[in-house]
Formats: sequence, structure tokens, C-alpha cells
Amino acid sequence: MKLPVIDQQPTSTCHSSSGGRNPYGGLSRPGMTRRSFLRRGAATTGGLAALAASLSPLRDLDSDDAPSVQKFLQKHYKEMDGADMEAALERIRNEVEHRYEVRPNIRDIKPMDGVEFVYALNLSRCIGCRRCVHACVEENNQSRDPEIQYIRVLEMPRGSMDIEDGNHHYDHETVPDESHFYMPIQCHQCANPPCVKVCPVEATWQEPDGITVVDYDWCIGCRYCEAACPYWARRFNFSKPTLPKADLNPDMSYLSNRPRQKGVMEKCHFCLHRTREGRMPACLEVCPTGARKFGNVLDPQSEVSQILRTKRVFVLKAEVGTLPRFFYYFDERDPFAQLTIESVDAKTVSAGSAP
Amino acid sequence: MSVQPLHSSSNASDPHGSGGSLSGYLIGLWFLVLAAILWFGSLDLETPAAPTPAFDRAALDFGPRRTMMLDPPTTNIAGFDQQCSACHNLFKSNWDGSRPLSQHTAIDLRHGLNDRCSNCHSDDNRDKLATYDGRELPFADVVTLCASCHGPIVRDWNRGTHGKTLGSWQRTSPDFQRLACTSCHDPHHPAYEPMKPLPGPHTLRMTEPSSDHGLHDEPSNNPLRRNWSIPADHNDDHSENGGDEG
Repeated sequence: MKLPVIDQQPTSTCHSSSGGRNPYGGLSRPGMTRRSFLRRGAATTGGLAALAASLSPLRDLDSDDAPSVQKFLQKHYKEMDGADMEAALERIRNEVEHRYEVRPNIRDIKPMDGVEFVYALNLSRCIGCRRCVHACVEENNQSRDPEIQYIRVLEMPRGSMDIEDGNHHYDHETVPDESHFYMPIQCHQCANPPCVKVCPVEATWQEPDGITVVDYDWCIGCRYCEAACPYWARRFNFSKPTLPKADLNPDMSYLSNRPRQKGVMEKCHFCLHRTREGRMPACLEVCPTGARKFGNVLDPQSEVSQILRTKRVFVLKAEVGTLPRFFYYFDERDPFAQLTIESVDAKTVSAGSAP
Repeated sequence: MSVQPLHSSSNASDPHGSGGSLSGYLIGLWFLVLAAILWFGSLDLETPAAPTPAFDRAALDFGPRRTMMLDPPTTNIAGFDQQCSACHNLFKSNWDGSRPLSQHTAIDLRHGLNDRCSNCHSDDNRDKLATYDGRELPFADVVTLCASCHGPIVRDWNRGTHGKTLGSWQRTSPDFQRLACTSCHDPHHPAYEPMKPLPGPHTLRMTEPSSDHGLHDEPSNNPLRRNWSIPADHNDDHSENGGDEG
């Protein structure tokens, strides 16, 4: 590197005689007056202060926020072999134990052969009590503040099927409200899922048993899938998920309810850590009315197959061609439902007095 | 690296370069202000959502809603579980509904037209149930009793399209457990009482109800509503979507 050639001619009155006299014969930095020294010193100090301040948000980071090398180098779920997966699971075990002081029972559960999961929900029975919403939050380790809920219970005016009339903020003293019916919406696990199509990095895909899953370590947080979903079923971690240590559910799997990080997408996965081991989803088990039904549609005797054969069934937004695996159905009117002694007496009296 | 004589535009003494130098100072000052803001003002990265209201976690219990009566049927009298027959073998009851009950006053019988004890309970053996045609049934076989009136419901229950199944979705699993009628319904008043709903959503994308009450006759909190930003006095065809709610 060559030093700048300094023109020693007194072109400027500002150059004092103290500058430029040095053994290197004119290659020095002239003009180092007190003023310029203070000026440059102030600029340097200010610059360093600005650099320090611009880095100051790093003070708020803790060790959990910075990805480890192992996590950074981790492969896509489908490219991991058994050893890779075991290493990833061990890393997650350590991270969870470090953060929540509980050693989780995490595993990678594969789909069962000959099983395709389907959900059915009885709109005649749902009373909108929101127990499914909160059982899901407890089961799946969602962030508590801000809370992330996979299930959205819409309160719909009776007689309307326009879900834009729905309201999920209803707050009655008791439910069901007489003039409304209730329609819970969660991930419909479409057979033709638009969210999978739009993902630019294939961080979400459809498994052989019909469940659309997310690899939380592969998601880049672009939220295309959230925009693509016609059922508003995807949830984004806008901030770092907060989960009290006591509330952690240690029964988890890689593709379902392991703790997520800020900036990734998540959604209902039919509780695959439960259902792939034969158990029922949490929202179903907590439902007080039995409005929720779950099972294997490939088994002709399963409850969901019976519902599809014998009940009046519809899917939400059938016209968008997503082929959901989530069905709504109705019961026929129960002839005994509105029958009371008084109503029968009144009918008998009026019938008797008519002629 | 380019070599540049110091006496060119970067020299503060050059009268033509003084303007650029001043703006350099301003930029530097601006960076210092930004730095001060970053350093002293904490960067508030919190998500603007209220914490979820507390609620009773007992509401989230899995499992049957109530304990169904099994054989032999018992009732709690003065702190002791007693079999029904313990009293009814001594005291024959032939209540015909014409006078108030002296016992079992806690039973709130609201079962539609079915308002006589002996429609379901056996007159001869109080440890048994009985159908209307006199067949005695154990309490565990309550489904058969209910089936004598509620045909379509029991048909659906047999198919699995009514009622609740716990444990497993695999019918062959030992955990597969289809709950019987009285695991959910109180036989004396089978309709569910209205219950208090758990708190609604408090997430960023499903936020609190907006404060624009009066914007619609019944304000909709669905963020995806077509007409959510149309003011109240805007009275054209678009506002009819909100009008048919009320």
C-alpha cells in the first residue's frame, strides 16, 4: 500500500509549520494540529460508540437464541438418516433440558401403514365451550404469551353458512347461545394442500398418513403458507415463544410439539405424537360433548368411515379444491329434544279444544 | 487502493470541500443520536398482546364427564355408601307422582315426558333397571334401557357416530373405550346444562376485539371480513353484508 503523496506546497494558510517535519521526508500526515487531533479523536470515539450501540441489541440474546453449529448444519428431515435424526433428537433433548429443566421423551414417529387420518366434527353437538382450544395449547407446547392457538371456534348466526359472519371473540356467560351455532376450525390436513405448494424451501409437506407437517428447523419464516391457507390454520411465532417450565409437555416428537423458536410457522398436526401411537388427539379427549371424531378412513368400520357413509357431511370451502381431511356433519333432529310435559299438555289441550 | 492527494476535496481547508465536510458532520451526529437511542432506550420487542386470562385447569380434564352408576348401585346416605336394596327391601315405595318426594329430593328429574321412577327402575328389585315391558337390566347395561326409547341415537352410538370414544382410535386396541350413555348424560336430566366458555383468543393475529364499536350494528371481529373498514355512515350495497347479522 502506498501512502498518499502529500503536496508540500503551502497552498493553504491553514497548514502550520509544525506539520510535515519528520524523518520520512514528506510522507507524514501533516496538519495534525490540536484541532484536527480533537476532531479525529471525537469522530473515532463517536464511531466506536455508534458501533457499540448498534451491537447493543445483542445484549438481549441468550445462548438459546443463537443457533448452534450442529443445528445450522442439520439436514432436511427427509434427508436425515437414522444417525442424523438421533443426533438431532439428542441436541433437542439437551436444549429442552437446558431451557425447561425437564428431559423430554422426544422421538421421531413414522406414519403407520394402511392408515389415513380423518377428522369429523358434529356441528349439532358442538357447544362452543373452547375446551379443545386450551387442551390443544397445553398438549402442544404453544407459546403462552402471546398465546398461539391452533383451533379457532367461530360463533355463527343460525341460518348462515357464511364464515365471514363468524366471530371467534364471543364471550357469553354460558354457551351455547340460543341464536348461534359453533364451528371450530383448525388445520384441515388437505389432500391438495396449498400451503405445501407455496413453501419455497419444502419445510412443510404431506406425510403418507395425510398429516401435513412442518420441520421447524428448516422453516425460514416467509409465511407464504399462512397466506396460502384458506382455513387460516397456520400460526407464526412473531416473538420468542414463552412457555413456563411447569407447563412443558415432555411427551413430544420431532414433527409435532417440540418447542419452537421465534420466526417459524406451526399448526395443528392431529397430535401426531399421540395419534401415530394409537391414541386420540387431545382436542377430542377433552371435548365434553363428543362432537369430535377421529380415526382411520381406510378402515371401513372406523367411526369416521361410518360418519362419511351415514351422516350428512360437508367440507369447508369445497370450491377451492383443497380436498380437506376435516369434515363437518350434522345429526338429524332428535324427536325428543324439545319435548316436555308442558309442551305435550299444551298440544293435547289445544287439540282437544279445537273441535 | 486509489491514491488521492490530500489537498483535493477531502481537505477541510479547501473552500469547495467545506459543504461535504459539514454534511459528513451531520451524518456523524445523526449516527450518534441513533446510537444514543439504541443504547439508552431499550428496544421494545414485546408483542402487543395481552396475557391469556387465567381459567380453571380442571376444565381440561380428559376422560368421562361423569361417573356412571355401575352394579351394584349405591348411594351416599349420611356419609356411607349404601346399596339401593338396603332401604328398598324394607320400605316398599309406590310413589305415583301425586305428592312430593320424601326421599331422593336431590334428584332433579327433567327427562322430558319420562317423569316416573319406575319407567327405568325396576319396581321389584331396586338394584336393577327395567325397560317399559318389564325386563330387568343391570345398571351396566344402561345402553339397552336407553335404546328402548332413543332408537336413532343408539343406532348412531353403535356405529360410533354419536358419543365419545376415549383411549384409542383403533377398534382393536385394548385402550379403545366407547363411553356409555350415562358417562356423559345424567339420566335424570340428560340435556347438558349450559356451561361457561373458556377464554377466547389472545394472539397477535387473533387479537382483542377492535375498539371501533358502533362501526357496525354488531361489530365483527373477524379480521377477514369484507367490509371491516367501511365507516358506519357509508350506506351503499357493501354495508349490507354486515346488516344481515343483527
